[in-house]
Amino acid sequence: MKKWIFTSLILVAIMGVLWFLFEERHNDPHAVPFKLSGKAAPAFKLKRLDTGEWVTLDQLKGQPFVINFWATWCGPCKLEHPVLAWGAKQFGGRVAFYGVVNEDSPENAQEFLRENGAAYPQLMDAEGLAGVDFGIAGVPETYFVDAQGVIREKYAAPIDPRTLVAKVGALLPAEARR
Amino acid sequence: MSALILCLVLSTYAPQQVGSPPLADPAAEARVERVGKQLRCPVCQGMSIADSPSNMARAQMEKVREMVRDGKTDAEIFNYFVDRYDEWVLLEPRREGLALLVWVGPMVVIGAGLLFVFWFIRARNQQPTLTPAAPAAPGAALPDDEYLRRVRAELDR
Repeated sequence: MKKWIFTSLILVAIMGVLWFLFEERHNDPHAVPFKLSGKAAPAFKLKRLDTGEWVTLDQLKGQPFVINFWATWCGPCKLEHPVLAWGAKQFGGRVAFYGVVNEDSPENAQEFLRENGAAYPQLMDAEGLAGVDFGIAGVPETYFVDAQGVIREKYAAPIDPRTLVAKVGALLPAEARR
Repeated sequence: MSALILCLVLSTYAPQQVGSPPLADPAAEARVERVGKQLRCPVCQGMSIADSPSNMARAQMEKVREMVRDGKTDAEIFNYFVDRYDEWVLLEPRREGLALLVWVGPMVVIGAGLLFVFWFIRARNQQPTLTPAAPAAPGAALPDDEYLRRVRAELDR
């Protein structure tokens, strides 16, 4: 009888370990968790790169918006720049696009934008503190925020046009999607 | 080690930003360092933000410094990071909820192992041992066994 109880306990333990391994098989062990999805975007006050005006979260509410954290020292950020520029034109008037220059100098950002075009406003976060408030784990990262200022999700990789359309579309009511 | 190499490689592409100077109060700055040692760097994931050379870690240390300067408690600072990066960000898991398993689990497993060893040794000692039968005294009457009788008959032949 005792032997049966002991064997059953061992079997349950083995099954538990196997179940855990099975459940975790698709999880990237290096992925950094993100807990702000579905929560209010953190308040910020950042200077516009072009005009020097302050921009706050409250000013952006009322319309869905996309915030892209990037830097000129980041190769993938440069690769995705044309995709975001295209998205800003495609969804212009319905969704606002903002870039946040993270951990970089205004001079570097201005030079890059002169050469590659500035299709949407850029905000300066030279110290990277706004990035930490948003829970970034690196750059590039793109945040999709609804009109109430709630973060719907973030995309932590260079974004492609199809993904951008899908995620921006999710911020809009069905009739506003094109 | 690989995390450190990856971190150093990535860092070469990111110009190092100058952080704010340490806090004037040495005790407060020591607290910044102590809290930073307990937070995982998202870039060099095996290192704390206090030890990591990445820009991301430097920005996070700046945040810790800002919160210490604003009079936040250690718990408030840890909560701020957990709200964004989940319990993953804590290099030393909390001693509560499911995370308690991390602390208690190994002790339970070691205890169960010791119990098993104890049970195994005791069960082994309680098994009846096979001791050889004492030789029959010379002249003693042999048992009346059919099998023995046949063996003796064969030997005598």
